[in-house]
Amino acid sequence: MRRKSSVAGFFGGSAVKRAWRGLRSWIPFFAAIPFLYLVEATLASQPSLEYAFQNINHIGIAIILAVSLNLVNGLTGQFSIGHAGFMAVGGYVSAVMLMRGPAQDPYRLFFVLSILAGAGAAAVAGWIVGKPSLRLRGDYLAIVTLGFGEIIRVIIENTPFFGGAIGLSPIPHRADFTWIWATAVATILIAKRLRDSSHGRAFLSVREDEVAAEAMGIDTTAYKVRAFVISAFFAGVAGALSGAFEGNLAPQSFTFVRSFEIVAMVVLGGMGSITGATIAASVLTILPEYLRALANLRMVIYSVALVVLMLVRPRGLLGTTELWDFVRRRRPRAKGKREATEALIDVRRASIRFGGLTAVSDFSLEVRPRELVALIGPNGAGKTTVFNLLTGVYPPSDGTIVIMGRDTRGLQPHAIAHLGVARTFQNIRLFRELSAFDNVRIACHHLTRESMGAAVRHGELSVVEERWIAERSEELLEIMGLSHRLEELAKNLPYGEQRRLEIARALATGPQVLLLDEPAAGTNTREKGELMQLIRSIRDRFGVAIVLIEHDMRLVMGVSERILVLDHGVTIAQGLPREIQSNPKVIEAYLGEKYAKEHFGSGAAS
Amino acid sequence: MTELLQHLVNGVSLGAIYALIALGYTMVYGVLKLINFAHGDVFMLGAMVGWYASARWTNEARDPSIAGALAVTLLAMVVCGTVGFVIERAAYRPLRGSPRINSLITAIGVSFFLEYGGQYLFGPNPRAFGVLPHRANFIGGGISVGYVDLVTIGTSIVLMALLQRIVFHTRMGTAMRAVSWNPSVAALMGVNIDLVISFTFVLGSSLAAVAGILYASKYPSVHPLMGLMPGLKAFVAAVLGGIGNVPGAMLGGLLLGLAEQLVSGYTSSSWRDAVAFSILILILLVKPSGLLGRTDAEKV
Repeated sequence: MRRKSSVAGFFGGSAVKRAWRGLRSWIPFFAAIPFLYLVEATLASQPSLEYAFQNINHIGIAIILAVSLNLVNGLTGQFSIGHAGFMAVGGYVSAVMLMRGPAQDPYRLFFVLSILAGAGAAAVAGWIVGKPSLRLRGDYLAIVTLGFGEIIRVIIENTPFFGGAIGLSPIPHRADFTWIWATAVATILIAKRLRDSSHGRAFLSVREDEVAAEAMGIDTTAYKVRAFVISAFFAGVAGALSGAFEGNLAPQSFTFVRSFEIVAMVVLGGMGSITGATIAASVLTILPEYLRALANLRMVIYSVALVVLMLVRPRGLLGTTELWDFVRRRRPRAKGKREATEALIDVRRASIRFGGLTAVSDFSLEVRPRELVALIGPNGAGKTTVFNLLTGVYPPSDGTIVIMGRDTRGLQPHAIAHLGVARTFQNIRLFRELSAFDNVRIACHHLTRESMGAAVRHGELSVVEERWIAERSEELLEIMGLSHRLEELAKNLPYGEQRRLEIARALATGPQVLLLDEPAAGTNTREKGELMQLIRSIRDRFGVAIVLIEHDMRLVMGVSERILVLDHGVTIAQGLPREIQSNPKVIEAYLGEKYAKEHFGSGAAS
Repeated sequence: MTELLQHLVNGVSLGAIYALIALGYTMVYGVLKLINFAHGDVFMLGAMVGWYASARWTNEARDPSIAGALAVTLLAMVVCGTVGFVIERAAYRPLRGSPRINSLITAIGVSFFLEYGGQYLFGPNPRAFGVLPHRANFIGGGISVGYVDLVTIGTSIVLMALLQRIVFHTRMGTAMRAVSWNPSVAALMGVNIDLVISFTFVLGSSLAAVAGILYASKYPSVHPLMGLMPGLKAFVAAVLGGIGNVPGAMLGGLLLGLAEQLVSGYTSSSWRDAVAFSILILILLVKPSGLLGRTDAEKV
């Protein structure tokens, strides 16, 4: 079942093979069920173990909650503190169905249906809450989710249909040890698959740096909402299981204290670590049972622990490390470049104003395939602003920007990245807490087609794509001379290597135009020479056009075929390097009117 | 008509309290870009201190005097100011410069610490609160205005005028505004950032203390979780007005108080908690920078 079969299977392998692959990816899950059932059948019925099993089941539910919240708070770096609210939605919807449903449910099909209905309702609630607040910074989400959690509780308390303040009871006992733990295993499995996929890296990139993520073609808002909705879905599942296990539901059990406990699990376990969340969920569920004497102080202890942890170990106990990180991975195949002949970028008379200040006015630029264009000008001339216009970070106040024949008006940065424009940043914006390898892999994101579902199923396409991404990323890192840094965190790389990593990451998006913002800043003469070689070889090897912002004139003159000079937002000259070097206006802009006059005569002043 | 007037008066009084709390949120957000979740609990602490002080100083049977009320309020302001100072010093300062989510978690940790620490010491049950002297309601033109409401509105006007003065016409206020625009540049210009931030916390916390006493007098009871809802709503008020903006917080507080009073007056009081969050979601959708807020694009 190695390499050969995966390709053969992809192009119409036999149904049996396909089915086998589908099944194989769920082996951990299917293997768990008989085991769980066996444990339940032999041990759970013993009266002496009843209390133990009750706790074990609570742990299972807590794991589902913590692992799902981890998706939002840990992986995606947003901050939700209303998880109990979504749990309540799922729990109540499912409970109402169960109480009105058939008395006998031999295969528990109706139970499954009720869980799905509850989880679906929670997901819808998640969408309603997340959609408006996730466009903004994480703090708003915290407030909105906290408020949402409280409102849900108030609504339930005031609605007789949901049992009001007394709660719903009796709910048929349909959830038992096997059901709860099978769901917990499935949740962990799904979370792991998501995390290891291209989508998981997209979540991480949102956490690390939203601007850079957009520039790499990741629709950050969409990913935030997705993470939030999936997380709400599983909170709903946990709520449904909880109701069907306890036999009753009361609004008092869905206060923000519950939400806070789940947050504590995620934070203590390590923000972004599924294993961490699982372990912390187990420990924090069991611990209070053994610390009954301290019951009144439990929340005080939690809160102090949280503050201390933030001060001492801000990423939580495990950080983003996973237990399975100690076992390792495999890899895939790059595809050829398309050739385009028309102008890749066509900017016509674009201007942008910030308040009263016109940062760039009447800017026009045409970039043809495989061209090497340099954009120079004194500090504050508006060069980076031009890049921000091209990549959609700012919309132009006037003028049009056409990229690959498409007007970019109203396009988000990630959509422009999809068109084939990639950039680096003047003030390096790597995903600092991620490895060099992951930084590059994230940028491959938009080239892949695997759905989240496929990632979870380990579908054929997702496996092939995953290998392809790994291979491509390794190759790019090698070209940039970073092979030896594969697993190093981006923040630990030396400055020059960080710049090269940014270029590798930009190339990984498969661009036709590469925008380099001061790639030589902070490098020494020898490195500048190497960089010149590198820029040329990138153009030749990848067939991309390159637009370069740079202050180092040796580099600019050595590498570029055409130069544009900006000063105070105005294009004061353009032409071949030789022409620019002797252009009086350029000299004036750089060296001042006086110098220009003294050395080049009065022509410079005009 | 008189009913409307009555609701308006009540709304303004409630709004004034929200505004006082919202000021603390907005000022801290201005200088630190941090939502100080614990602010609502500092508000609770103010009411608590008021309760303890009045229980000790005044006789239940006797009517509290105005001087007594003033003394109690001053004490609450001092205690809360100190607590605000300590919170910033011990919990937020070491995290300055770390990712925002860490500060946020810490703020929530501090908030829960105050709430449940309070519950541990104070017990979870509400206790009757009486710091202000008892006076009959003022009745005229068909509306009745409570003495507490009058005191609330009066006190808030005085405090807000004072705050406006501090923020816009003193050296410290100028420094605060400078830090809110750009802390590192302000530091280069010789502003002592630590001092400014401490000052902001002390100022905001003592305003919250006054708000706590007024709120507890209006709904005469105190309990350890009383800060949660008013705290959240005041935050909504701050966002509504434009977070980081001082006049915005006053406006937002007032509008929120009015909206809440009108909705609960004309429909049912069980919906009053839903008003604030509906407003929040609406404002996030329509104008996330708030009514008076400024939008700034992130520098790339």
